[in-house]
Amino acid sequence: MSDNKTPAGKAGAAVSSSDPAECTLADLPVGQTATVINMKPSLRGKKKFADVGIVPGVELQMEAHAPFGGLLRIKVMESSLSIHRDDAANIIIRKQELS
Amino acid sequence: MSRKYRIVLAGNPNCGKTTIFNCLTGARQHVGNYPGVTVESKTGGFTLGEDEIELIDIPGIYSLSSSSPEEGVAFEELTRPGIDLIINVIDSSIPQRSLYLSTQLAELHIPMLIIFNMSDEAKKKGLKFNIPKLQSYFGCSIVQTVGSRGDGIDKLKTALAESLLHLEDHDVPKLTYGADVDDAIREIVQWIEPAMTDRVRHIPARFFAIKLLEKDTCVMRMNEFQGLDAIIDAQIAHLYARHAIKAETFMADCRYAMISGACRDAISFTQERRREISDKIDAVVTNQWVGLPLFFAVMYLMFWFTFTCAAPITAGIEWMFGWIQSLIERFWSPDALPVLRSLTIDGVIHGVGGVVVFLPNILFLFLAIAFLEDTGYMARAAFVMDGIMRKFDLQGKSFVPLVLGFGCNVPAIMATRSIESERDRRTTILVLPLMSCGARLPIYVLLVPAFFAVKYQAFVMFLIYAIGVAFAMLGARLLKSTLFKGDGEVYLMELPPYRVPTAKSILLHMWDRGVMYLKKAGTIILGVSVLLFIANNFPEKTVFDADYGAQIMAVAADTTLTPEEQATAVKRIENRRRAEAAEYTISGRVGKFLEPAFKPIGFDWRATTAAIGALAAKEVFVSQLGILFAEGEVAEDALEDEQESLRQLLRRAYTPLQGFCMMLFCLLSIPCLATLAIIRRELNSWKWMFLEAAGLFALAYVTTLVVYQIGLLLKIGTNYLL
Repeated sequence: MSDNKTPAGKAGAAVSSSDPAECTLADLPVGQTATVINMKPSLRGKKKFADVGIVPGVELQMEAHAPFGGLLRIKVMESSLSIHRDDAANIIIRKQELS
Repeated sequence: MSRKYRIVLAGNPNCGKTTIFNCLTGARQHVGNYPGVTVESKTGGFTLGEDEIELIDIPGIYSLSSSSPEEGVAFEELTRPGIDLIINVIDSSIPQRSLYLSTQLAELHIPMLIIFNMSDEAKKKGLKFNIPKLQSYFGCSIVQTVGSRGDGIDKLKTALAESLLHLEDHDVPKLTYGADVDDAIREIVQWIEPAMTDRVRHIPARFFAIKLLEKDTCVMRMNEFQGLDAIIDAQIAHLYARHAIKAETFMADCRYAMISGACRDAISFTQERRREISDKIDAVVTNQWVGLPLFFAVMYLMFWFTFTCAAPITAGIEWMFGWIQSLIERFWSPDALPVLRSLTIDGVIHGVGGVVVFLPNILFLFLAIAFLEDTGYMARAAFVMDGIMRKFDLQGKSFVPLVLGFGCNVPAIMATRSIESERDRRTTILVLPLMSCGARLPIYVLLVPAFFAVKYQAFVMFLIYAIGVAFAMLGARLLKSTLFKGDGEVYLMELPPYRVPTAKSILLHMWDRGVMYLKKAGTIILGVSVLLFIANNFPEKTVFDADYGAQIMAVAADTTLTPEEQATAVKRIENRRRAEAAEYTISGRVGKFLEPAFKPIGFDWRATTAAIGALAAKEVFVSQLGILFAEGEVAEDALEDEQESLRQLLRRAYTPLQGFCMMLFCLLSIPCLATLAIIRRELNSWKWMFLEAAGLFALAYVTTLVVYQIGLLLKIGTNYLL
């Protein structure tokens, strides 16, 4: 599979936050791809997100923003998920180079 | 020798479990293309060779834990003793995500059979599976199917029979999570093994150990595992120190890592992945700017389709009932059993026929809804509508049930189970009866053309639906800011890929609905029509206040009048006589008794009794008007079209304002008994059911009162607009 998932552990958690490519999922522009680095402790329902594949190391893509701001549509592991912007703001990601 | 087996079907939401269930059992459970169609476990049976198999279809889940109501149901079902085999259905076009649940099911050590469903879509995506490798990995057989076409079902049955032969010596999955994690699991197993009671002994201690490591609330709460917190926390702390990942997501992480390893080994791409059509459609449909206008266009099309396509068939049904009536009238002489004849014609044909006429409208509405469900558009509609719904303190997930409510409130209320937030779910249930259901449609279809000129009809119809939606939204806002206050829950919904719906699935759904509607017409509505007929005719009045016969004679003898004037005068006297007779009956008395209360909202006694009858089923409003007017008055010129002649009578009895108020009242007032019963069940409370009924009645009464009084004051709709 192309979505490479690093084994548990080699956590990207230690990456310095000064990395300019690092931001939250809520800030990822439509069409861009990113890798999940970590979840902020304030994220509610961590297990739920983990169960659908949003775990550190996974690759995801921002597909669309819903009208009136609330929801985001992201592609994770070949499937489309809609999640709320407030929750996305608690997921730290690193943007990938535009190819 | 024949044996009995219990098999559970488990899988992610929207992976096609119910389709497989239907294929195996021959059942016709409803399938749709959005997550959460199956909200409660369903059981079916079939025979395999000589063996009898009980198959249980459980709600779709992402994980074997208890973070949502569906997961709770599934968890309970799967950990119950006595399961011989689990059939794990996975959407093989997204293997990585789907196998996540498989790893957890495998930990139960119950014999398992994995179905790689939707293998046609996987093939289109260029996915190639090394089945033998995957089989040894999960320690079970794997069968590839395309449920929607029934492909691979024979192979599945063969594999199933084979698996059932080896229940005692089934393979065990080779799942490891890395040395550290496995050590931690072993450590916890040592502590909980002595605590295992008979209730849970059929499940390996390892399963519970993993769940405890995940801090799964359901397992943590079990009596067997109390007092182990310190040991578990120590293990979690130990793992955290080494991997810096929190407990709740640690196992998820391990599982995905494991699957990704398995996938690298056993799954490959044979061709360049192409951008799916689904993504292309979504780029437009869920677009920030285009999405909403497109959604409204889809809704408009749905109703347009419903009315346009139904019209010719409706005319056909009307003609058929007219023909039956004329047959009866011709061959059943008025002198033979006059009461029974009148009951058949005025009670049964006008009552039931008046309702059956709307079958085409209902069928096409359900056809449209089933089409939207099966293509996958509903999930997108929820996505684009979420922003607006949030302005009313609801959310996107409330949206699908609300749209289903246009069809029938009962399944719509059941569909609210996919909403995790209890507060949102309760709010949605309580406002759902305001969504104008298919059974209310006949009332509008009768009344709108009766009182409004063609050019206003579509607008009035739209207005009624819009008023229902507006009240539902305002009601939700009110409920959420008072009774159900609090923060929302995490929102997470999958958007399934678009699929071309199978004609079979859609037509079956429509057919089932149609049969249900006809059954209702043949049972509840027939029964209520007969009761109402009796109430409308008895007791019979024999002694009248005035001597109408003498009055008619007097008119006939009056030579100063022209023949036309004489005829009109006679008709007027006869109508007065009928009115007096009608008022003497049970309906008349009840209606008259309640009339003072309903007069301020524009109802006369006839509309009042119709509103009472509508409590049993909304369509009864139409049949009661049909019966009352068939008896009470004679149309000026007998029209061929029965509906049209009833409309003419209504036009003479009421103003458009009154007609509008009747529709408004029927829209907002207490829902039918079936809906009330389902509200009681879903909220598990009699109190809430009664409060709901009282609240809706009050809302309907006050709104209609305001509209009628203002209308009277400003003289709006007191005359015909032509």
